[in-house]
Amino acid sequence: MTLTISILSTVALALFVLNKNENGKQIEGLKIGAKQFLQTLPLILGAFALAGMIEVLIPKEFAQEWLSAEAGLRGIILGTVGGMLLAMGPYAAFPIIASILASGAGLGTVVALTTSWCLLGLSKAPFEASFFGLKFYIYKTVFSIPFCLAAGLIAHAIDLLIS
Amino acid sequence: MKKSLLVIGVAVGVLLIVALTVGGEKLVLKGLESAWDTAIQSALLLVVSFIVIGQIQVLLSKEKLDKWLGEYSGIKGIVISAVVGGLLPGGPYIYYPFIRSFADKGLPLYVLIAFLFGKNIYDFTRIPLEVSLLDPKITLIRILITLPIPIIAGLLAQQLFKNISTDRLFPREEGSGDPDHLHS
Repeated sequence: MTLTISILSTVALALFVLNKNENGKQIEGLKIGAKQFLQTLPLILGAFALAGMIEVLIPKEFAQEWLSAEAGLRGIILGTVGGMLLAMGPYAAFPIIASILASGAGLGTVVALTTSWCLLGLSKAPFEASFFGLKFYIYKTVFSIPFCLAAGLIAHAIDLLIS
Repeated sequence: MKKSLLVIGVAVGVLLIVALTVGGEKLVLKGLESAWDTAIQSALLLVVSFIVIGQIQVLLSKEKLDKWLGEYSGIKGIVISAVVGGLLPGGPYIYYPFIRSFADKGLPLYVLIAFLFGKNIYDFTRIPLEVSLLDPKITLIRILITLPIPIIAGLLAQQLFKNISTDRLFPREEGSGDPDHLHS
């Protein structure tokens, strides 16, 4: 965690200096970041509460049988479907995915879930369908599913290798 | 945002009732304790994440990204589009109208696919949140595994839809743009 904070702080500082030299908008950037943080804080706190409840409510047997590394392909397919159903932004989705991880889900399931949420999250559906048409949305969904499954399978293989 | 908050609020309420029924007060407290621990652990990371998000937003203007997109084609175009897609900050309200503008520029469909997948998969302003809210190691593995996806998607689209430009996909509004640029 300390390493993550150090890396992220270095990135923040580098971007701040870059903006200072490039366009002088570094303070504006801080204001935008602060505004966005305050706007999304209630959502993040709500998501934490939701994730906490999911974590204690997912039965251990279900996690073991359907989501863990031992669940193999079953977990990856379930992760892909689950990612689609996570019709929410990153502030809410990541704490929920973290709670599924904490309940015992395998790496394959979590990577398939995240990739599927990135590509297929249903919250994007109304935008894609209205901007590009329903046909495009359906094609894109069909086109994306193999990528989610493949990402899950590779992660599952890595999980088996490192464990 | 208000709608999302309402959905989360209702979901929390429902799960609280379920937890209370299934495991009583003890289970509810355990869930809230877990939520509190996560909040404390990720507080500092979240603050830094939003500094990064704000700085990226002022660093990259739509005009700058637009310029990069028009300069390359082929495999270079696919890689640039995917990366530019990942760099474009903001939610669907910002990037879908931006992608829709590809139609007016007559950019090939594979550029749009690479851009869209780049935005969905890379989204560089989302990474700090993923690191803070999920897990740094899992995030790193996820990024490494999914790194080629926008490039592969762009290459596949290039092979499958070689001669289709984005104006074929979207019906053009009459009188918008210069028709001579459509098939360039």
